[in-house]
Amino acid sequence: MSDRFSLNRRALLGGTTALAAGAAFPAAAQDNKRIVVGTWGGDYSRLLAKNIETPLLAPKGWDVVKDEAQVDPRKAKMMAEKVLRRGTSDIQGLSANDMFEMNEQGLLEQIDYSKLANAKNLMPAMKYAYGVGHIYSGKVVLFNPKLMKAPDGFADTLDPKHGDKLGIIDIQRPYNMLAAALASGGSVSNFEPGKERLLACKKAGARIYPTNEALAQALKTEEIACCIMWKARAVQWQNAGINVETVAPKEGVPMYVSGFGMPKNAPNKAGAYAYLDAMLAASAQEGFAVDMGYNPTVTDAKVPADVQKRIGFTDEEKKRLIDLDYAYMGKNDSAFQDWWNKSFKA
Amino acid sequence: MTDTALAHGPVVEKRRGESLTATALLAPATIFVALCLLAPLAILFRYSLNEFIPTKKMMVEAVTVANYVRFLTDPYYTAILWTTVRIAVTVTAACLLLGFPLAYVMARTQSRYKNVLIILTVLPLFVGNAVRAAGWMTVFGSKGFFNATLQGLGLIDKPLEIMYTEKAVLIGIIAVNLPFMVLTLQSVIESIDRAVEEAAYSLGAPPATMFRRVLWPLALPGILAGTILCFILAMNAYATPFLLGGPLFKMMAPLVYNQFTQQTNWPFGGAIAFILMTVTLGLTLAANLLVHRRGVR
Repeated sequence: MSDRFSLNRRALLGGTTALAAGAAFPAAAQDNKRIVVGTWGGDYSRLLAKNIETPLLAPKGWDVVKDEAQVDPRKAKMMAEKVLRRGTSDIQGLSANDMFEMNEQGLLEQIDYSKLANAKNLMPAMKYAYGVGHIYSGKVVLFNPKLMKAPDGFADTLDPKHGDKLGIIDIQRPYNMLAAALASGGSVSNFEPGKERLLACKKAGARIYPTNEALAQALKTEEIACCIMWKARAVQWQNAGINVETVAPKEGVPMYVSGFGMPKNAPNKAGAYAYLDAMLAASAQEGFAVDMGYNPTVTDAKVPADVQKRIGFTDEEKKRLIDLDYAYMGKNDSAFQDWWNKSFKA
Repeated sequence: MTDTALAHGPVVEKRRGESLTATALLAPATIFVALCLLAPLAILFRYSLNEFIPTKKMMVEAVTVANYVRFLTDPYYTAILWTTVRIAVTVTAACLLLGFPLAYVMARTQSRYKNVLIILTVLPLFVGNAVRAAGWMTVFGSKGFFNATLQGLGLIDKPLEIMYTEKAVLIGIIAVNLPFMVLTLQSVIESIDRAVEEAAYSLGAPPATMFRRVLWPLALPGILAGTILCFILAMNAYATPFLLGGPLFKMMAPLVYNQFTQQTNWPFGGAIAFILMTVTLGLTLAANLLVHRRGVR
């Protein structure tokens, strides 16, 4: 009995080792076709699958695995993995601001645009050395026409006269500070003048919501009448039946660019390039414009006229689009967070 | 001496065998805890002594207590610690007050539905904290179930502000922690012989006196275990204050998370985590000592 057990155990161990050794080869082969994508969850992730992964990557044999989380935990994870030779993600969805910050930390691979066939159609402003712009929108004023008349810009919106009918989103802190600065004589490189305005609004009863979704709920229940937000979100909320209209602020329309960067220690850089190229395909970009209300970053995307009218900007408004000073925001981010938490939210 | 040693040989061998078995039984859990808890804690503690350059958002190797000093000398952070302790104490007291009668009934009932009662108490634990908090959000909103009902009944004109307030957080954490308190108390009360209560009654003690002189002292170890469990859970609550408290309400666990993820300030986040752990441990030990001292007296 004992001998038989011993034999069985040896056979089992030997078999297991052989199996493990054999399994390693297909696993390695499979890994080469696997792309791990760090991204926000919810609609964005769903639309990545619908417009990029299923129609463009799956037929070519790519297997996309999602690491879904808000951007801050994903940034923290990238930093924690800095010392690793092989990280756990091949590509990360980041805003232009976040891409800049991650690049400053030395975490992002410099993009070789010759590997991206669709890059020839990419708008020059969306070609970052350390990442690729995927979609963009602009910060506009949102208001409920049933409850108030249209404000003409940031100053008219971020105004204490609205009392508790003004909503402010906590996680949109940098853009709230920028909008308040533009409304108060500041600029993309000087947020200081806006602080007093924000404090006055808070004192007058402005409501602060933790997330975009919480604010959307407040707009829907008419708890608030106005706020500032991305135009693309306004389109989504209109589609969801929320009574809200937009105004391109007279002070300027700060741009929001959402893109993708490749960690330096990405295990599958070929896969990351395949993903970047697929996301720039006209069909994928058109899908995001229709489904999510963001503007394409490639020139060959054909967006239906009615959609373009709702998500895009007129020629006059386009002149007011302003890019952000990412270096200024990155350098002062900790100080601004301190002010936001200790003074504004106190 | 040799004879004695020989005589005790098998006993010593048996003891050695027992201790080897004990080691073998303890080793896996000990190794797991050492690797998964103590090692990360040690690394975190080391990080908490590092410096952080805010303009570059970079951690720099150093050995300094500046992060601890910053927390303890800044009224903004000490106020958050105080709020956390206040909430944890209030929640624990409320759970004890609400939980004791329920636990007593559950322990003493002879009903055939006793198991159903226990399952009903455990049932809320089947749902995660975040999901439960999401449920409360639909109840507390300005047009949520609570306000809509009160307005529908004509009891209030405009909605009560509950969501994103301390009240919402208190209700949420009490709801989360109450089953832990009830289950702990129920098992302890059940182990107290009913005869001692009846003896007190037969000697003329009114119910309040029986409770104060008999039930409470005998249940004290369980009360202590329940309150400690409840207090620790409340001190470290994350999902409930984050979701129900909103952006203006601050407690320690969300603050730690904020420092790590939003500010990427790992040294300060590490220091806050250790301060939270130290305060929780300190207050728990103090309560333990106090109760034991009273027990001895």
